[in-house]
Amino acid sequence: MSLYSYLLISIIIFTIGVYGIITQRSGIKILMCIELLLNSANLNLVAFSSYNGNATGQVFAIFSIAIAAAEAAIGFAILVALFRLKDTINLDNINILRW
Amino acid sequence: MFSEFAALIVLLPVIAFVLTLFLGKKLYSGGALLPIAAIAGSFIISVGIFSEIFPTHGMVQQSFPWFAGMNIGILIDPLAVVMLMMVTFVSLLIHIYAVGYMAHDPARPRYFAETSLFTAAMLSVILSDNILQFFISWELVGLCSFLLIGFWYHKPSAAAAAKKAFLVTRVGDVLFLAGIVLLYVNMKLLIDNGTLVMESRSFILQFRTMFEAIPLIDGTQLTYITLLFFGGAIGKSGQFPLHGWLPDAMEGPTTVSALIHAATMVTAGVYLVARTFPMFAATPSTISTGVPDSLLIVTYVGGFTALFAATMGLVMNDIKRVLAYSTVSQLGYMMLALGTAGTVLGAKAVGISMFHLISHAFFKALLFLCAGSVIHAVGTNDIREMGGLFSKMKITAITMLIAALALAGFGLPFEGLGMPIMNIGTAGFFSKDAIIEGALEYGEVTHDMIPYGFAVIAALLTSIYIFRLWFMTFTGKPRSERHSHESPRVMTGPLMILAIFALLFGFSQTGFYGYVEKNFELMDVNIAVHEGEAFHPSALVILLPVIVGVLGLLISYIIYNKRMLDMSKLVSSGNPLYKLLYNRYYEPKLGADIIGVKLTHDVVARSGEFIDRKIIDGLVIDNIISNTLLKLGEIVRKLQTGVVQNYASVTIFGIALLLIILRLIFGGT
Repeated sequence: MSLYSYLLISIIIFTIGVYGIITQRSGIKILMCIELLLNSANLNLVAFSSYNGNATGQVFAIFSIAIAAAEAAIGFAILVALFRLKDTINLDNINILRW
Repeated sequence: MFSEFAALIVLLPVIAFVLTLFLGKKLYSGGALLPIAAIAGSFIISVGIFSEIFPTHGMVQQSFPWFAGMNIGILIDPLAVVMLMMVTFVSLLIHIYAVGYMAHDPARPRYFAETSLFTAAMLSVILSDNILQFFISWELVGLCSFLLIGFWYHKPSAAAAAKKAFLVTRVGDVLFLAGIVLLYVNMKLLIDNGTLVMESRSFILQFRTMFEAIPLIDGTQLTYITLLFFGGAIGKSGQFPLHGWLPDAMEGPTTVSALIHAATMVTAGVYLVARTFPMFAATPSTISTGVPDSLLIVTYVGGFTALFAATMGLVMNDIKRVLAYSTVSQLGYMMLALGTAGTVLGAKAVGISMFHLISHAFFKALLFLCAGSVIHAVGTNDIREMGGLFSKMKITAITMLIAALALAGFGLPFEGLGMPIMNIGTAGFFSKDAIIEGALEYGEVTHDMIPYGFAVIAALLTSIYIFRLWFMTFTGKPRSERHSHESPRVMTGPLMILAIFALLFGFSQTGFYGYVEKNFELMDVNIAVHEGEAFHPSALVILLPVIVGVLGLLISYIIYNKRMLDMSKLVSSGNPLYKLLYNRYYEPKLGADIIGVKLTHDVVARSGEFIDRKIIDGLVIDNIISNTLLKLGEIVRKLQTGVVQNYASVTIFGIALLLIILRLIFGGT
């Protein structure tokens, strides 16, 4: 497969993620979409790394995955806390930061 | 060797101020030791400088350009060095005393920091070498007095007294500043047209340059300048009609009163007149022949104040108020001395006035510290509730008696009686007699005996009120059930030292005059003397001050100790004279209520408030500026929906837009 097909997959995943973030209302679904965004970026990194014959991008991707794991843990913890407080994770109902 | 460290005289207490303010809580006894050590250091340097310049009749001068046309510097001449020694010494004793007096106050670090700064400011006034620096330090003294009078700011009366002191002295300060501006304008004019030549422009307001310019300045202008200066002195030294703040200033701790009255504040006014004395003496004589106009006014304001304040001292029941009026009265004497003796004796007047200032500082500090000791023991300020304290507080009673004798001017004038023995007496005897003699000589020369009359009657009243105070406090039977005891050693120690000075300082009279009156010769200033016929007062006249002093003691003894005369008829609200005096000539009513509240607050402040609130805030700001902004805000705030998806959509849309724009601009495949 050429570099082009990797990038195409990456763009598709990214667009799905963005679409999900904008349209979904559930906090968990949005978090999952954010993971999609991150992973599309990771895919880009690895693809370019392999194309250029340089390992740096792959190392970077591993870091990125580790951080994504931490971020997911925090994000779910926040959602659990939010659920205990409000009995919902529907973000439409959590809009006190407004005029 | 000490002269090189002259700047440290001021800097040491300033350093102590900073350290005590920030570290005082952690140090022993609220950080009292820092200011004490610093002021002791200043005292040692002052004495060192005195011992260096006294034998050679020299001066210490250090001056540097500061900013456009101004300089900053130190001038220690005989006048300054005697003041420096007095202020540091008295302030040192008061600080030591305060360790005992303020022992139970939780705000001690603030107290000691402020008194330290107060002392530093006064020392800076004394050794300024130019009038602007003098003024800045003078204002700092005013600020510190405000802080210290309002030390117990949670008491409404103390807060009000602090405000009154600040505002009333401000009136004088504005006049003083106007005087400086007028002087500067005149000096600049002289320099611009080449009449006055000087090495560097930055020394334009130095005292030396000012004195050089005296003959060149127009006489009328000189009168205005000096009278404006005197206006400042009236405010600071509590002369009529700006005397009202000084008795109210009793709201602060007693040690602060002692500082204000003896060492660090009210004497600044007298010092200002003494410092610029050649200018006062050079004003033309238009009102009375041979008497410079400004000195005439100084004489009458001083003389009238001396008498006026003494009458109020007679009827006050607050131990500190009596002493406050006494200070006002004694400051009047110092002004009177500058005016009368200044006319007939020239520069010697400065010696006479400063001698009284310093001897007054000793016995008035002593009186206040004794009063503090009594208040500390009894817990009240009202002398009607005291009485019979002599057996319980022997040291305080005896030292206060010494101070009272000094204030009343007791002594044995052997020389006046023609005996070949030296005069023996308290400090007040030597210093006050010289003033009254000066007033008499002034009377003989100018045929104007009114100032002399003021001085003698005030001396009688002084003696009556101070012994009334002493008899009512220490003799008779206790008039209230209060537990009283002698104060601790740290308080009685300074009392005894001051008592020694109040007793013995007078003997330095001849040397003091000889030293201080040379002050202006050192700066090459000649002071004209109003010549008159040779004058030999009769024995009775010489004895008069002592006679009235003894008379006052006897009157007080009869009325307040033996209770032979029934005073209840006189001392009642039915007696209009008593009422007038007790209400302090309605000065608080007139000053605070009419001028302060009615005029300033109701008329000036209210109309200012009206303009600010209704016109500026109301019309301009409300209608135009703030309304527009509010409406804009109404529109823009709707953007904050609180829904995360909206923000995310906008962000993504924005990035997409940005990418498209970049693509269009930079191109590429």
